[in-house]
Amino acid sequence: MNLSTRGFLKATLTLALVLFALAPAASLAQAATDTDQWIHIRVTSRDAKGEVVRINVPIEMAEKVLPAINKDRLHDGKVRIESAQVKDVDLRAILDAVRTAKDGEYVTVQSNENNVRVSKSIGVLYIIVTDKEHAKKAMAKEDAAKGTKASESVETKVEIKVPMKVVDALFSAGKDELDLVAALRALSAHGDTELVTVKDAENDVHIWIDSKNAGE
Amino acid sequence: MLVLAKVALGLGATLAMSTAYVFHEGVIRVDVDEHRPGGSHVHFWVPATTVSAGMRLASLVPQHPLEQAAVQMKPHLPMFRVMAKELQKYPNAEFLDVTDEEQHVHIATVNGKLRIDVVGDDQTVHLQVPVETLMDIADRFEEAARSARAEEWHGRNGKHAFASE
Repeated sequence: MNLSTRGFLKATLTLALVLFALAPAASLAQAATDTDQWIHIRVTSRDAKGEVVRINVPIEMAEKVLPAINKDRLHDGKVRIESAQVKDVDLRAILDAVRTAKDGEYVTVQSNENNVRVSKSIGVLYIIVTDKEHAKKAMAKEDAAKGTKASESVETKVEIKVPMKVVDALFSAGKDELDLVAALRALSAHGDTELVTVKDAENDVHIWIDSKNAGE
Repeated sequence: MLVLAKVALGLGATLAMSTAYVFHEGVIRVDVDEHRPGGSHVHFWVPATTVSAGMRLASLVPQHPLEQAAVQMKPHLPMFRVMAKELQKYPNAEFLDVTDEEQHVHIATVNGKLRIDVVGDDQTVHLQVPVETLMDIADRFEEAARSARAEEWHGRNGKHAFASE
């Protein structure tokens, strides 16, 4: 074997090794871009144990995975609603009414037990519920368990913010179905947004969408 | 002397190539430690390619255990496959992090590998699998499920044929 052949062989070998080494990196090149939307769920327990749950799911992944799950009421990315649950309530008519109505506050309930506020502003539906009674009961139960005096209760506050386009997409499947995949697509198109915030005596729950691939 | 050098070069090149091939998919790492007297400690790593190849070989054996597992996993296989495929798009991402008084569970992808870490008071588990291997595993299980279905069909038709005789 002359020198040039040996040199060629060495070069080929080196090239082959480099290609093998780079093979996984090449597959990673298909990686998602920074503009991908992620749905984040964070649950923080207020008790001494300090439990924290953080879930981050790419919306695109959820869109692909959901149709692959066919179990109970979930099939093809849609959830079947029992007709009994919406009996006597025409959800579509209500949604149509809300969609076509002007921005403003539709429902305001203020009582000793809870406050409810439903409003719409610039294509976004807001639902805010403050439960005072549940908080009192929860605290009383906790105090009784600990054998301590009644402590100050913390209200349960639920804030839901849903773009109307997402609601439309959710109800686009049919009479007795919710189209989760369509709703996810609509959410993804809407961009960064807060979806749900729940604060009560036991937990803080936060659900939001942004383009970061890690939670708070 | 020159012949020996040539043989050594050939062997070295073959070894280097085969090593590069075996490791090109990365390694599967498993670490399990039980924190109790006499608790087990399992630490091993295996090239991911050998797992794929092993499953391929196992599928050549008639009525192999893989078929039974595949039949049980069948309802979840489409989801597993889609998830494995989608995970490839997120080589570095954090999916789940649960911390409580007793343990910490963390699921993420790091450099194209799925990492599952469970650190508890009583045991610690670290698992690392290249995402590419998950796709291979899904493919092998789907093949095994198909093969089991075909065998079941042939078995049933065979019985019917026998009964009609």
